[in-house]
Amino acid sequence: MTTTEESITKTEESITKRPLISSRELLLKAISIVMPIATIVMMASFTINTTAFLTWPNLAAILSQNAAVIVITVVFAMLLMSGYVDLSVGSVMGLSGTAAGLMMIEHGTWAGVLTGLGIGILFGLWNGVLIGVLGFSPIVVTLGGLIAARGIAIAIAPNAIYGFPDEFANLGSGTLWGLHYISWIALLIAAVAIVVMAATPFGKHVISIGVNPRASFLVGIRVKWTIFLLYLLTGAAVAIGALLLIARLDSAPSGSLGVGYETTVLTAVLLGGVPFAGGRGNMWRVLLGVWFLAVLQNGLTLMNVDPQLNQIISGSVLVLAAGLQVLQSYLRKRI
Amino acid sequence: MSDTIQIIDLRKSYGSVEVLKGVDLEFHPGEVHALLGANGAGKSTLLGCLSGAIHPTSGEIRIDEQVFHGFTPREAFEAGTSIIYQHFQLASALSVSDNVFLGDELKTRWGFTRKRTQSRITAEVLGRIGLEFGPNEIVEDLSVGEQQGIEIARSMRREPKLLILDEPTAALGKHEVAALLALVKRLAHEVGIAVVFVTHLLPEVLAVADRVSILRGGQVLWTRAIAEVTTADMIHGISPDAADVHAQGQRSIGSALVTLESFETSFCGPLELELNEGEIVGVFGMLGSGRSNLLETIAGARRRWHGSLAIEGKELSYASTAGAMAAGVALVASDRPKQSLFADLTAIENLLMPHYQAISPWWRSPMNERRVFDQIASDVNLQPPVAAATATSFSGGNAQKLVVGRWLAGLRDINLLLLDEPTQGVDIGSRAQIYNLLRRFTEEAPKRAVLFSTSDPDEAVALADRIVVLIDGRITDVVAPSVGEAQLLSLAQSVEVSHGVEHQR
Repeated sequence: MTTTEESITKTEESITKRPLISSRELLLKAISIVMPIATIVMMASFTINTTAFLTWPNLAAILSQNAAVIVITVVFAMLLMSGYVDLSVGSVMGLSGTAAGLMMIEHGTWAGVLTGLGIGILFGLWNGVLIGVLGFSPIVVTLGGLIAARGIAIAIAPNAIYGFPDEFANLGSGTLWGLHYISWIALLIAAVAIVVMAATPFGKHVISIGVNPRASFLVGIRVKWTIFLLYLLTGAAVAIGALLLIARLDSAPSGSLGVGYETTVLTAVLLGGVPFAGGRGNMWRVLLGVWFLAVLQNGLTLMNVDPQLNQIISGSVLVLAAGLQVLQSYLRKRI
Repeated sequence: MSDTIQIIDLRKSYGSVEVLKGVDLEFHPGEVHALLGANGAGKSTLLGCLSGAIHPTSGEIRIDEQVFHGFTPREAFEAGTSIIYQHFQLASALSVSDNVFLGDELKTRWGFTRKRTQSRITAEVLGRIGLEFGPNEIVEDLSVGEQQGIEIARSMRREPKLLILDEPTAALGKHEVAALLALVKRLAHEVGIAVVFVTHLLPEVLAVADRVSILRGGQVLWTRAIAEVTTADMIHGISPDAADVHAQGQRSIGSALVTLESFETSFCGPLELELNEGEIVGVFGMLGSGRSNLLETIAGARRRWHGSLAIEGKELSYASTAGAMAAGVALVASDRPKQSLFADLTAIENLLMPHYQAISPWWRSPMNERRVFDQIASDVNLQPPVAAATATSFSGGNAQKLVVGRWLAGLRDINLLLLDEPTQGVDIGSRAQIYNLLRRFTEEAPKRAVLFSTSDPDEAVALADRIVVLIDGRITDVVAPSVGEAQLLSLAQSVEVSHGVEHQR
């Protein structure tokens, strides 16, 4: 590497020998720490403005309230990194949670859990075959799922289900080392997702499909199989999320269970820096996106702010983050 | 003549690389002017300068006593130049007249489109250039040849002074080619505009052109009236016998390794082909000869094929690229940015993408990956050999080394390496290096062969041990590289084109 002065002298050399860091690269680095800094600033301001925010019970509550979001988001993030999307997560969550609840009060915990998982996986299978193997449009297929699954959920259980077995209710309320069981499950799954993306060939293949599906296919990556598998995993994650959520609520309200989760999850992933078209992404940042949204909601509630403000801020931050992403990709092209 | 279009000493450099080294040309109204040149002669840069896509470094373009030193696309079109590319840019669900006026709609005072007037004008234009379909037909219901007609009608509506056609027959069937050539003649001779016709196909030139210019090395080699030109002149002009990258020394070639028997793809065949151990075979063919189709089918990227493919007598029947790779067959596809490079990923990711599982099946091992990368990077002389550099930051030659290097790593047993246009957009220095890499690949280990396709006669002669000529999906000749570029070019010309023109109308 050379100093700045030398690199200006000759155009030919500047292609290979650049200064240690250019102002553009510096700007790129600065952009990449905007989200972490925003999160810290936000947490600091909540700490100053409320007494309850920075306490262990509150932070643990944030985590347990978002256990389902975390589980779904980390898998959904992989899907988006490969350039695909699933709009049906909220409704499938509602259906799988409702069906699990129904089975559970009739036939016990395990029957309920298996039913819930089965339904999530079935939807994953359906999406995976139609989109991954047959090449249907992901938006159309999962939009259909979004509408239909909610309808089925309400049809099988018009009213909220409650009265789960004690062992299952305990999953939602019990704690271990200061965190709820469901938080531990969510963190475990998040850890697995981080490892998969950072340390397995599968993680590389997910990104490569997002960057260039044709080239991925031509170098022998099983593109259709990978997409299929990602939808299957998303279905399974949605089911696990549904179980964690009904355990925490200790009820399964078919009409409202999981409503809006598709937006929350998508927002978190996009805030985490995954472009909508895929091909890039970091699991740590995705988790930061989840944490940002969770803390925002929690802090505003503690400050007794109008709940609508939460939505206004989340929406604005999302668009701002998108703006930063545009700037980022512009700068990357010019380096 | 006053309304002659003149290009005077046009130059274009990228950094220190001069692509156009002072081009002088004159295009006359009422004439079809054919522009020929090998890949890298500067044709596309010249066309870019005329269409406004590229700004020349210096020189001038004179149209109607107006002097330009480069255009924006809008200025180019206002000055009266119009260009039609080989890939149509039509909105296929819209009508003919919608497309003719696309982006330049006639509007009423209130901003509504004047559909009826547009239709009427379109019908006039279609009639003037002799096309026999209506203005209200939907584009996707028309044939490819008719769609090309719409492109031309769109240009003609603006009454250009100069119409440029970039390989206009590439996508057309034979009878459509004849109709198009007749149309091109009418435009020049009857409507009276200057037409520039860019092509690789010499029979078309003889059928349609009034004047021919050859571009070589960024300059005009010569310009002659068609009566003073023979096919041999053109071939010699396009590609002189100056291939400085020829194989060195005698190469040893073993017994049969790969056998294709009555091999049929969706476009090619049935064809028979045998590759010997250690041999590099070139498939030479023009655009549309089926060379990519053939290679992609052998690589498992296309499903439909009959006949058999055997390596070492063992018959293979995979139906996917993953299956092909497991069987020892790998492809380096043409069109690097679209089909082989992972643009936003790093050099190491680009090199190792097919091999992550081979290096370690469950958990990746960054140390091993790095070791493999450094090995390949030094083997292929990657510049700069930086693992973390993104693929887009490499020059064409080094990007190609990345995608070729994937299969030279020795991480998989590749018996048959397929390359579609192995040195597309690659500078001459890297080109020689890639040729050497491929030769070394066949020599380093037993049971290896290379099959590549090319439209560049220099490349076929420089790299291949044996050349297979492909026309319309069929092998018409098998020749030794000593046959020379000129002979090869004429072997690959489909003879039927020039006949077709005379027979129709």
